[in-house]
Amino acid sequence: MIGKRIGAFLCHCGGNISDYVDEEKVRAAVEKESGVAVAKTFLFACSEASQEEMIRTIREEKLDGIVIASCSPKLHLDTFRAMARRSGINRYMYTQVNVREQCSWAHRHEREEATEKAIRLVRAGVAHSRLGVPLTDLRIETTPAALVVGAGVAGMRAALALSDMGIAVYLVEQAARVGGRVPAWGKMFPNDREGAEIVDTLLQAIRRRENITLFTGAEVVEKRGSVGDFSVKVRAADGTEEIALRVGAIVVATGFDPYLPAAGEFGYGAPGVVTLPEFRELLPAAEGKLRYRDREVRNIVYIYCVGSRQAAAKENPRPNLYCSRYCCTAAVHTALLAAGVDAGVNQYHLYRDMRTYGKNEILFEEAGRKGSVFLRYPDDAPPVVERPGGELLVRVRDVLLGGEEIGIPADLVVLVTGMAPRENANLVNVLKLPVGAGGFFNEIHPKLRPVETMIDGVFISGAAQGPKTLAESVASSLAAVSKGAALLLKGYVDLSPLVAKVDTEACAWCGECGNACPYDGAVERVRQGGKEVAYVHPALCKGCGGCVPVCPAEAVGLEGYTNDQVKAMIDALVREIV
Amino acid sequence: MTYRVEPGLHRDVAKFGGGDVTTCMNCGTCTATCPQSAETGGFPRRIIHLLQVGHREKLAGSLEPWLCYYCGDCSESCPRDANPGETMMAARRYLTGMYDWTGLGKRFYVSTWWEIGAIAAVGLFTVGLFALFHGPVVTGRVELNTFAPVKWVEIGDWIMGGVLAFLLLSNGWRMSRWVMGAGKGVDVPFSLYLRKLPAFFAHFATQKRWRECEGPKTRWLKHFLLVTGYLTMMMLVIVGLRWFQTDEIVPFYHPTRLLGYYAAAALLYVTGDFLLGRLRRKDGIHKHSEPTDWVFLVLLGLAALTGILVHAFRLLGLPLATYSTYVAHMAIVVPMLVVEVPFGKWGHMFYRPFAAYLAAVKQGAAEAASLGPSRAA
Repeated sequence: MIGKRIGAFLCHCGGNISDYVDEEKVRAAVEKESGVAVAKTFLFACSEASQEEMIRTIREEKLDGIVIASCSPKLHLDTFRAMARRSGINRYMYTQVNVREQCSWAHRHEREEATEKAIRLVRAGVAHSRLGVPLTDLRIETTPAALVVGAGVAGMRAALALSDMGIAVYLVEQAARVGGRVPAWGKMFPNDREGAEIVDTLLQAIRRRENITLFTGAEVVEKRGSVGDFSVKVRAADGTEEIALRVGAIVVATGFDPYLPAAGEFGYGAPGVVTLPEFRELLPAAEGKLRYRDREVRNIVYIYCVGSRQAAAKENPRPNLYCSRYCCTAAVHTALLAAGVDAGVNQYHLYRDMRTYGKNEILFEEAGRKGSVFLRYPDDAPPVVERPGGELLVRVRDVLLGGEEIGIPADLVVLVTGMAPRENANLVNVLKLPVGAGGFFNEIHPKLRPVETMIDGVFISGAAQGPKTLAESVASSLAAVSKGAALLLKGYVDLSPLVAKVDTEACAWCGECGNACPYDGAVERVRQGGKEVAYVHPALCKGCGGCVPVCPAEAVGLEGYTNDQVKAMIDALVREIV
Repeated sequence: MTYRVEPGLHRDVAKFGGGDVTTCMNCGTCTATCPQSAETGGFPRRIIHLLQVGHREKLAGSLEPWLCYYCGDCSESCPRDANPGETMMAARRYLTGMYDWTGLGKRFYVSTWWEIGAIAAVGLFTVGLFALFHGPVVTGRVELNTFAPVKWVEIGDWIMGGVLAFLLLSNGWRMSRWVMGAGKGVDVPFSLYLRKLPAFFAHFATQKRWRECEGPKTRWLKHFLLVTGYLTMMMLVIVGLRWFQTDEIVPFYHPTRLLGYYAAAALLYVTGDFLLGRLRRKDGIHKHSEPTDWVFLVLLGLAALTGILVHAFRLLGLPLATYSTYVAHMAIVVPMLVVEVPFGKWGHMFYRPFAAYLAAVKQGAAEAASLGPSRAA
């Protein structure tokens, strides 16, 4: 440790930091810290010129560790780690101190205190750096095969795309048939192609591929290993057979369940009240006239937002708050199909907001031209479906009539039902899939990392992630494919070495670390040197540090944040400034 | 009690013409554009929505179609080309048909053959009356009053006037029942109806509300000219027929001649102008013409033309031409009044000011209701 030469670089961030923190004072204080060979300030540390100067300084001063006091590591940790590597020192010998968000921005009105806090934080950074050791990334060889769970259209399309890239695919479908919910839809928007035909085309293509293995009537029952190298087990639904597979990535495309209204919800259960998917099944058989239970259908009333955008209520403590995206367009498209069967049928659409977004707006306009009437009801006063004298009557408050109630006689009431998350408890448990508030699978970042999950190597796609149209489902499944394939085609994955490590001499396996660990399979109980000890699987550990404080023997440490480093940082933080 | 709508009402109304109601997405651009819409709240959108939804009861009780003077701004601003202005026009036709309890109005609007047939029948009936009951035909000089004595024509006038007044008033009674009933909850004292009566006559004579519409005032001016010409002529032939229809050739400056010339000129000029406009289809509001629009203008123009011809032949001393043109004139004027006033487009001369009057009564009642509590306090 003695002899370690540390460079402390202080960033002004234009004036973002230096307007509130006395950088010169910080520099002077830090310069005196033991191990600091050089301390400099920069107008913008992240600029190309500053990085070049820092690299020159590192080389000239023969530094072996650097500390940069700048912004949040979320912004530039990778930037400066890469710079460290370019300069010739280990990238984990770089320590970032956040003095912008934590000092200058947080304490604009207390400049002296902000400066003092900055000094303490940078001193802690120096202490951390002083005890740092070079680390190397953990490299995992990837298995060039992928598991796709769910053979709906999204899953089938994903399988084909992976196969196109030369990756072997195991496509697992729980049901006996492929295609999921799409075959039942008949003609689908926007181009009226039959759902069954789409599925059939995909299935034919899959059959022609030698590198796709399709399992129907099968379930994924076990997953071990980590990103790039998973071992999974697939079991036939009847339990007769179990197959072990090795894959490098997993794409989950398990789809949705259509929202099923409760008995009596908008009259559901009474004759003449059907859900949108149920109505769609009536349509293909209709010729010339629409008929329902042998009666001609003259008036259809669609009620939108059934099972979507619900408000919390006593009888519905876990409402579906989300919009199901597809239903407005699907209902409008259905109305067009119905008008195509019988141009004289009267169709009322009772909606809250019409969301036939994008190109689907054209369908909305066309439906109007084909005689559909659109009528808005207030959020807090949904329509009521009644059967006075056996005839269906929908009572609704019409916003455009100042909220006045009208009654619409109906032969058929179509509940435009949304999408609900699938009952998938087993799969969630096996894959450890993160489930969001609405019950759908959660991505890491909705905009920037839309198909990746907290489990490296496990990707989500389609309506399993949230309500989507078929076009959106396929787009997201192809996104998952590209993320997964990028991983597999590279041949390896580098994982962060900042993970927990067990001192096997001190460890006496009590199991506390395993209990504290949130990642499945990361902590294992192994025998070593004649006793039972904990083993942390480096590819499964995320370096959260949850196991460190619970170990009674202080046998677990975090690489890059060792107990010694943290103690030294605390000492540096609390030491008085003279 | 919840009102049960009538699905497909818009298809019914479409038989009366109008824009494409189903294309409308209720965006309300028309209503925002309409300068008349502010105080009465939400037309043309409201009317179109009533048609879409099938609310016949509210439509029957709506004054809005009559408060629109069809400037056409709404149709020009419509993003969907739904032509709301023309739909308001169709609503006026439909309402005229609804108010009419005989059911003939609806027939005439929906079927051109019914309308033309009715006009032809009444015209032939008029010719028949002359054929059977005309006086001696003096050929030496023009003696129109011998051929068609004023006394008899006057009696015919009054009978026809009485029948027309009865029809219009009974239709107006139905209209007011629907309109005032639609306001539910506001009690209107009879005295208010009396106090607001001048509004009817003011609007009848001046169409002053029209002046609130934006754009050039020439349409209002032309229409005003037409009304004055028409009213002048009505005064001459109903009240003053005995002085108007004389065989004595009065001097040029005689009031009956001056007034007659004015009326004929006004009628000919304006109907000619309107007909040309509809033929050219240059203005948005004249792009769509229903048969009833043509029939109305053609009859009015022909009535003025034949009237002035009768006068000309009389001045020229052509007895047979005068008598036959007179019969032709009557064969146009009588069906025009009998068919168009209670059952057709001409009804608007009564319904429009009546609507303005009812609107004034409603407003008065609403004001009284809002003042009520503060008075009590």
